[in-house]
Amino acid sequence: MLAASPTTLPLFLALSACRGPAVLSAPPAVSPQTQTLLHAVTAELNLIWVYSKVIAAYSGLTPVLAPLRAEHEAHLGQLRARVTEPPGQRLPGTVTARPEVGATQAAALVQLRAAEQAAVKTQMSRLAGASPSLAQLYASIAASESTHVSVLNARIGG
Amino acid sequence: MAASRAAIAALQGALAAEHAAVYGYGVVGAVLAGTAEADARADWTAHQVARDSLEAMLTRLGATPVAASPAYRLPFPVTSAKSAGQLAAALENGVTRAYLGLVAVSDPALRSFGALSMQTSANRATAWSGATVAFPGMPA
Repeated sequence: MLAASPTTLPLFLALSACRGPAVLSAPPAVSPQTQTLLHAVTAELNLIWVYSKVIAAYSGLTPVLAPLRAEHEAHLGQLRARVTEPPGQRLPGTVTARPEVGATQAAALVQLRAAEQAAVKTQMSRLAGASPSLAQLYASIAASESTHVSVLNARIGG
Repeated sequence: MAASRAAIAALQGALAAEHAAVYGYGVVGAVLAGTAEADARADWTAHQVARDSLEAMLTRLGATPVAASPAYRLPFPVTSAKSAGQLAAALENGVTRAYLGLVAVSDPALRSFGALSMQTSANRATAWSGATVAFPGMPA
């Protein structure tokens, strides 16, 4: 075993210095696929936030909107479960968009429909760069969100 | 560029599901009346169009499209408007599952086609069942 001594200590420090930058360097880079996944997680958080605000403002819409919000929560769970690299990657947990809720019930429904339509479009844009398994998840979520548009359309009457 | 074996297999899977839907909607329509019967007829026609489109795609790729089965076993007896609607929803769920296979292929155009087709069938399933699901097409 190498004991510290006036002659070996500088060598020890030099070796430590060599290892040091690896410890202190930036976290491992996130792959584009994971970056997209993290954006998808944040987008679901934002959608759930809007649904919650609309439900809080217009409780009469709860029977229609709560099931749709529950499906977004399921989407969020599946998306979060797919974030596997790099190890220790922190999952987004913060809502990044807090729009004003529509001033009337009808306006709020139109707002949710627009958000769902935008979400479908964004999921479609994620397909090309995704692994087969992730592409299927995005496509399934897009299909779910497209049915939400239909449900909201029926409620809006448009 | 030649289509991959996986792409052709996925297209054949979608075509087989469309064949089943065309057959099944014949059963659905037979026990419905009025608006529901008209809805079933419209969906039946849409599945025929999709079937023809898939057959053309496969032919262009040099593959022989799978043929329809002479008959299909229904998952449950269809004796009422309610069970007819349930069968229609089941048929659409089967079609959605089949198009999910196309989303897994590497060709971006086929991925988009599969995903858009899933949206169409998922919406039809919702129209017949009156309910939405979190993950259309995905295994439960």
